[in-house]
Amino acid sequence: MGDDERGRDVVVPDRLYKSVTVFSTLFAVVSVVLGFVALDTATNAGRAAPEDVNVAFAALGVGLIAAGGLVYAFSSRFRASGMAKDKDSGDEPSDNG
Amino acid sequence: MSVERKDDHDHDAWLEEKDLTPIEHTFLATLVWLDKRLRLVDYLELLETLYYRVNLQMPKSHTEQYNLDNKFWYWYPLYSLGFFSTLAYVVAAISGALLGFYYSPSAAAGAVDIEGATVAYSTVATIMTDLNFGFFLRSLHRWAAQVMTAAVFLHMLRVYFTGAYKEPREVNWIIGIVLLSLTMVFGYTGYLLPWDQLAFWAGQIGVEMSLSIPLIGEWVAQLVFGGFSPGQPTLQRMYIFHVFLLPFVVTTVIAIHLGLVWMQGIAEPH
Repeated sequence: MGDDERGRDVVVPDRLYKSVTVFSTLFAVVSVVLGFVALDTATNAGRAAPEDVNVAFAALGVGLIAAGGLVYAFSSRFRASGMAKDKDSGDEPSDNG
Repeated sequence: MSVERKDDHDHDAWLEEKDLTPIEHTFLATLVWLDKRLRLVDYLELLETLYYRVNLQMPKSHTEQYNLDNKFWYWYPLYSLGFFSTLAYVVAAISGALLGFYYSPSAAAGAVDIEGATVAYSTVATIMTDLNFGFFLRSLHRWAAQVMTAAVFLHMLRVYFTGAYKEPREVNWIIGIVLLSLTMVFGYTGYLLPWDQLAFWAGQIGVEMSLSIPLIGEWVAQLVFGGFSPGQPTLQRMYIFHVFLLPFVVTTVIAIHLGLVWMQGIAEPH
């Protein structure tokens, strides 16, 4: 995924940027929540004895959480024209807003 | 605001011409597809437009109208008491709604093994002892009520001693007095709901205070307490005051109170 170019960013049209931010955030939130639900179900909210844990379901939960985080992180490379990347933007003016 | 699609950009053509990695291309194509199917962004844009159009109709805040930078006063601790009471009100409203799932305003004999314990008392006992987080929930409601009463009173003192009640804020001072009184009525009606000895005799005091009013005393006691001694009608009326009438009235009056502060601005100390 472009490890050789860390911090790659892709400028997209404004309307597409809105789609990116709305849908990737939505996907990330829903999959992280569902991931925790699955993990809770698999481990009986952390109370199950180790041999009673449903490993497949627990793995699904961890996978969903990871997928949510991954999509969220991946979507951060897209930006609309005129948006500065935080690490590149200049110092904020110190006029107390 | 037509439902017809705005043809402001040809996403597919843009995707082809832009130099993207396969993953980026797939990611964006998926989102474009989702966007075309679900139209969430369009709905959010409608909300955004609505927000700005409604804002144009609102009276300007004092700060905005006179281009003042007086947000400074929000950071004075004693100038936060009004906000603090509003916050306590919101906390009490949420915790109270949850308590309402379990409480029942009945003076009939309850299940708790205490002589004379009523259903109302039993439901409170159940909340405190059997319900998960019930003790916390009731404590939160009680503390929010205590904090709101204290904060509202201190807020009144702050307004008085900084002279914030003076022209042109007379109306808001009077509305504040009404709110302070309604807060105490809120507290009193809630105090009666557990229907224990404290509640019962507080109800008796309320009845006698009503009866002491000249000319209309008996009528007031009948109306507010449902009789001349505390009983099921009293409990039921206190319940409806507490969870139905007062919430509507107090929320509306708080909204007016805050709206006036917003329009007139915070008074600086003289």
